[in-house]
Amino acid sequence: MAGNTGGPWGGGGNSGGNSGGNNGSNGGSNGNGSNGDGNRGNNGGGRRPDGEGSQIPEIDELVKKGQEQLRVLMGGRGGKGGSGGGQGGGAGPAFTRGTVGLGIAAAVVLWGLASFYTVKPEEQSVELFLGEFSGIGEQGLNFAPWPLVKAEVFAVTTNQTESIGEGRGSAGNEGLMLTTDENIVDIDFEVVWNIKNAKDYKFSLKEPQAAVIAISEAAMREIISQSELAPILSRDRGLVEQSVQELIQRTLDNRKTGINILRVNVKKVEPPSQVVRMVNADGSVEDVSVVDAFLDVQAAEQERDRLERQADAYANRKAAEARGESAQLLEAAEGYRARLVNGSIGEASAFLAVLAEYKAAPEVTRKRLYLETMEKVLGDVDKIILENNENGQGVVPYLPLNELRKNGGSN
Amino acid sequence: MRSINYLIPVVVILVAGLLSSIFIVDEREKALVLRLGQIKQEITDPGLAFKIPLLDEVVRYEDRILTLETDLIQVTPDDQRRLDVDAFVLYRIADIKQFRQATGVGGEAEARAQLKGILNSQIRAVLGGRGVTSNTILSPERAALMQSIRQQADNRASALGLSIVDVRLRQTNLPKQNFAATLQRMIAERDREATDERARGREAAQRVTAQADRTYEEILSEARRDARIIEGEADAERNGIFAEAYGQDVEFFEFYRSLSAYELALQGKNSTMVMSPDSEFFNYLKSDGGAAASN
Repeated sequence: MAGNTGGPWGGGGNSGGNSGGNNGSNGGSNGNGSNGDGNRGNNGGGRRPDGEGSQIPEIDELVKKGQEQLRVLMGGRGGKGGSGGGQGGGAGPAFTRGTVGLGIAAAVVLWGLASFYTVKPEEQSVELFLGEFSGIGEQGLNFAPWPLVKAEVFAVTTNQTESIGEGRGSAGNEGLMLTTDENIVDIDFEVVWNIKNAKDYKFSLKEPQAAVIAISEAAMREIISQSELAPILSRDRGLVEQSVQELIQRTLDNRKTGINILRVNVKKVEPPSQVVRMVNADGSVEDVSVVDAFLDVQAAEQERDRLERQADAYANRKAAEARGESAQLLEAAEGYRARLVNGSIGEASAFLAVLAEYKAAPEVTRKRLYLETMEKVLGDVDKIILENNENGQGVVPYLPLNELRKNGGSN
Repeated sequence: MRSINYLIPVVVILVAGLLSSIFIVDEREKALVLRLGQIKQEITDPGLAFKIPLLDEVVRYEDRILTLETDLIQVTPDDQRRLDVDAFVLYRIADIKQFRQATGVGGEAEARAQLKGILNSQIRAVLGGRGVTSNTILSPERAALMQSIRQQADNRASALGLSIVDVRLRQTNLPKQNFAATLQRMIAERDREATDERARGREAAQRVTAQADRTYEEILSEARRDARIIEGEADAERNGIFAEAYGQDVEFFEFYRSLSAYELALQGKNSTMVMSPDSEFFNYLKSDGGAAASN
């Protein structure tokens, strides 16, 4: 049996021989007693050179020894089998030269592949010499002789973003936080972080991401619990972001986590949107949310503004009206003054002119004026001339005055 | 040939024995070597370590900081207002011998369960302690409270071989029952604010309107006053002018003014005059001698 199988194996060695490892394991599985030997021998051959690093001559020696042992095994069998001895002897030299050389080359290549690794620009690596931290690999080609040094490559400068406040739907209070004046505010924010110290990052926290999330939430709640509602809603957003970032960073740095918080973005700061039933002062019931109430305050502010502006408009209109009307009054008065003064000056100078004339010839002028006036006056007027004697006086009572008037009027 | 044949298995066994007696402790872990169940060696530094094959067992423990989230519990601070609280804990296994003895083969899972219990009771103790009100929890003193929870929990957790690195209170929320009431209070506050705002708006508007009306009256009455003054002045000026002119000859003024008054007064067709021929105007109507002659 052994002799029969030994023959084909010699041939296998001849025809194949791609890699020493294959041959070795095949041989091992075949030979009953030498099962462990073949494996161990080869494994040892693969490992030991790595273990000793650069001592390549020794590797060669070891490989040679291994090969000799293999050959001895084959030869021994061949000897036992007797008939297959010639074949085995013929296969031996070919096995040692070509295949062993190739095998070594392949082992070196494999070892190189296992030992050299590349680090991308955004990455770093941590190297462990027998489990102990030995160094950090920067970008480019790095060397970690297998199996003594183990390298772990991971992204360092890449920004990671954790969203906090939304989606954490436990108990329906995602993102709801209590302020120091016992108001509730709904906050969604995100934390952007990367790694500033690869060694600290790798060895300080077991679950860095979970820790960042939890520490961030705790920090935000701590900051919110120390401030009042109104300033958070209006102006202090940037301040909140900054102080939360500082608090997270301080907490992380205290534990040397190697994590760098780049920024905290507050995405939403709102009063809670839950609807509650409110009983109004007049007993009516309505469903309102706090957001609505806040919006109503804004509406009221607008309304106040509107009322004030409308009143201002009214005041402006009224003031302009007052100015216009008073200007009119004053101008009218001035006009009156001008009319009066000019009229009287004219009248006075007319009088003075007549007076001057009169002074020059008083008697004549006086008569003339009198007669001229009477002429004008009596020219237009209905006249009844009665003889003024003692009897005549008695006529007057009988005069039909109404009749005369009528006639005068109709004429 | 023969001796080599026997040598190989021996070498192989030796190598195998050597390999299985070597083990690597990673930077991130600590290890205990148990010989037949007995703690033989405690390895806290990373690197190569040795054991006896088959007899010794290596148990590895995490050396990094671990995280734990406590369940939401209700605490009652001194002011009897309830708060729902949970915390986030950073801890590490400090003493693996102690840890092994305290947790047995349950390891981390067992430790977490026990740690949760410790933390819950410490959180209750500290936040429910004398003089700690909900206002204290919701204030900058929160940090001090967290620190004292950490210290007390750390004291108790050291029996488990654990050290508490940090305790952070996360939620400090009002319980659900109080939640609605708080929202209602917030709404009522906003309502007050809105009502106040509207009332103030109306007040301001009313004030401005009234002020505008007053200003209107003030300006206008001033203008009326000034107008009257001007008119009075004009009248006075007119009187002055007339007095100066007419004062030059009072007698002639009377005559002159009477004439123009007659002219104006006796105008029109609706006047009828009954006169006697004796009047001065008719002096020459009867005779060319005039009045003097007739009288």
